[in-house]
Amino acid sequence: MTSYIIRRLLSMIPVLIGITLITFILINVVPGDPVVNMMGKRVDAQTIANIRHQLGLDRPLYIQYFDFLFKAVRGDLGRSFYNHQDVMKTILQRFPATVKLSLTSMIVAIIIGLTVGIVSSVKQYTFFDHSSMIVALMGISAPVFWVAIILQLIFGLKLKWFPISGYSGPEYMVLPAIALGTRFAATIARMSRSSMLEVIRQDYIRTARAKGLSERVVIYKHALKNAMIPVITIIGLQVGGLLTGSILTETVFGIPGLGRLSIEAINNRDFPVIQGTVLFTALVFVFTNLIVDISYSFLDPRIRYDGGEG
Amino acid sequence: MLVYKKLLASVLVMLVVVSLVGCGGGQKTQQGQGQSQSQPADTKHGGTLQDALGQDPPGLDVQQNSMLETYYLGRLLFSTLVRYKGGTTDLEPELLAEMPTVSSDGLTYHFKLKPDLKFSDGTPLTSKDVKFTFERMLKPETKAINQWVFEPIKGAKDMEDGKATELAGFKIINDQEFEITLEAPYAPFVQNLAVPCASIYPADATQKAGEEWTLNPIGSGPYKIAEWVHDDHITLERNTNYFEKDLPYIDKIQMKIIPDEATMTMEFENGNIDILAIPDSEYPRLASDPNFSKMIVENTPLNTYFYVMNENVKYFQDVRVRKAIAMAIDKDKILKELLNNRGTVAKGLLGPGIPGYNENNPGFPYDPEQAKKLLAEAGYPNGFEVENWQAKNETFYKRNVAIQAMLKQIGIDMKINQMDSASWRQSRNNGQVPIYLANWWADIPDPDNYMYNILHSSQSPGWSINYKNPKVDELIEKARVSTDMNERIKMYQEAEKIAVYDDVSIIPLFHVKEYYIVQPYVKDVQFHPTGIGSYNYKTMWLEKK
Repeated sequence: MTSYIIRRLLSMIPVLIGITLITFILINVVPGDPVVNMMGKRVDAQTIANIRHQLGLDRPLYIQYFDFLFKAVRGDLGRSFYNHQDVMKTILQRFPATVKLSLTSMIVAIIIGLTVGIVSSVKQYTFFDHSSMIVALMGISAPVFWVAIILQLIFGLKLKWFPISGYSGPEYMVLPAIALGTRFAATIARMSRSSMLEVIRQDYIRTARAKGLSERVVIYKHALKNAMIPVITIIGLQVGGLLTGSILTETVFGIPGLGRLSIEAINNRDFPVIQGTVLFTALVFVFTNLIVDISYSFLDPRIRYDGGEG
Repeated sequence: MLVYKKLLASVLVMLVVVSLVGCGGGQKTQQGQGQSQSQPADTKHGGTLQDALGQDPPGLDVQQNSMLETYYLGRLLFSTLVRYKGGTTDLEPELLAEMPTVSSDGLTYHFKLKPDLKFSDGTPLTSKDVKFTFERMLKPETKAINQWVFEPIKGAKDMEDGKATELAGFKIINDQEFEITLEAPYAPFVQNLAVPCASIYPADATQKAGEEWTLNPIGSGPYKIAEWVHDDHITLERNTNYFEKDLPYIDKIQMKIIPDEATMTMEFENGNIDILAIPDSEYPRLASDPNFSKMIVENTPLNTYFYVMNENVKYFQDVRVRKAIAMAIDKDKILKELLNNRGTVAKGLLGPGIPGYNENNPGFPYDPEQAKKLLAEAGYPNGFEVENWQAKNETFYKRNVAIQAMLKQIGIDMKINQMDSASWRQSRNNGQVPIYLANWWADIPDPDNYMYNILHSSQSPGWSINYKNPKVDELIEKARVSTDMNERIKMYQEAEKIAVYDDVSIIPLFHVKEYYIVQPYVKDVQFHPTGIGSYNYKTMWLEKK
């Protein structure tokens, strides 16, 4: 196990270097100079040159990159070009909001999606099945910002049940979580329904029914476990998407998260913040994957990472 | 069983991450502790104003950026030597005891500060702080972008080039008095001192704060920062050391950061925001609502929207083509249908409120037939294809689409290319944008701010206009050093006639008005005259506390 973890940790190094290098090349290739962007309409070549020098942007690109890399290894992601705030500190301030939003929406989506999917499959071709699948199709098709505005209008402006925007307490997370989780819930509902329908037609389910087991035991003990395999795969794939896909939700609901920070940094060409947020997100992904993989072996004794596996 | 364990493992990992990140420090920037405010007997005093900003200010150092949000807060946190009187464009002393006197040659200004001025931390504000502020702006290491306000001062260029560490044209007489000598006479110099970026900083506190200054500045304005939760809200509280006795009236200002315009409007409708600049997309709905229409307040800021045709593009090198485009655009129609008549048609670069504005300018009447003839004369009877580049912006896109349809009528096929704002700005500043919708919001109510910054040959390439007329340059250069306002106005009007009507270097389109929606309990709202979206908070008061 130890050698597996060491191997995985070592394999992260080229991945992270590759990500920082690609990001660095992209931000320098894409048109849009950070200093020109700061200057607005006033064009003064001398001032632009002075500021570029102060920010170190007049150095050769490879020096800029290695400077960033060596500092990043020591945990120093530099300071924002705009507000001079320490980038690492800023990221750590914004990350909790994004994680809370992603996690809440994931929980909402799993609860709603699984329940609707299972009930629909058990009650196939009933009114509930048809109507819930139409709603799920709408959920998948509806853009996040549209769902967000509709929720704000109904539950915020008209009914006044929840706050329209902000980030001050649990009640502020309800509408954003539903908005972000709707599409996710719809995907889970459709996937779990089709997966369940496939499984309950299998011979072993027929055998279970023939043995005289109650329908409840057949569905929840025998069918559901096997039907969940593709659903779990979808959930696993969506977790990353939720972490980074909260940009629109954070913008509409005014949540100070990592998504908003990175999109504002890209718009402003705030290079240190762009590099920092990309590197940080990449780190979260690779570490999350590693921890999930390691956790499997603790939870299921059949999984072993020794003997060259991995 | 394995699938459940995988699910359980994923959720556990997420929970661990949440708990770990939850241990990170809070995101509050605090300054000082909330002081107990003495409540004067006057009924105007007290209460908290709920305001909103579209984005978190990129910093509060007004020398280092000129974003609207920074300027907006700059007027609340800092003071300038002079300011606008109420909502007018007339100047009056702010930190000064009286308006500065100027020598007969227009070169030397004498200033006297009000006695007993203090910054919000209680330290005195003296001539030394003013000198420090001016020099800080001009030092390259400050990374300032607003040097233009102090550039007319003698020795400013040497400081910017790193050849001097002191400003030669600034002489301290005593704690309250100082003299400024200019390199050459520059008529709008005192106007420059009213721009928020010319706010006065405390020398010691600024140096002590270093890079953190932009996050936690100290000023002598009516308010000071109580709390700043980045991207969430900024809370300001009364500066008890403010030099105007008993002002401001409102105790606290809570500014929520809400990037989405629709969300911001809903928050107003729910009563969670007290005053709001109405987003374009929301205006028709609010204006037609019997309740909200009564709360709408109009402001006429100083701006001009115009069309730029890059003279480096082959087609636009012929003045007949430029004039044809000017005549093909129906400005009245755009104003009526896209702006809901929120503005006036522009007939020159200078708009109402700017000295030199000529209401007798003829404008470019809408005449597509004449436009077609001009195009044919120029050798393009079947028109041509051209690309309009714009930064992504729905309002501008709609206006460009309308103009696209109008140009199609005379055979010009204008494609619209939407870019992200940073890329677009760079292209514009490099003089590469072929044709686009531009605008200028005045920094100061002086014709030089428009004419020099847009039409002088040293500036027009940065706008992708690439216009160069030595006669126009000469008139603008002479006008900016003249101290005779009547003579200046004549020169600017002549330059405008040549540049806009003879050469059609730009096409004036319209001057837009701003509309705010204000809750009925917010009283005496007064707007900044140049249109930096700021209100005069000192005079505002709340009926409902």
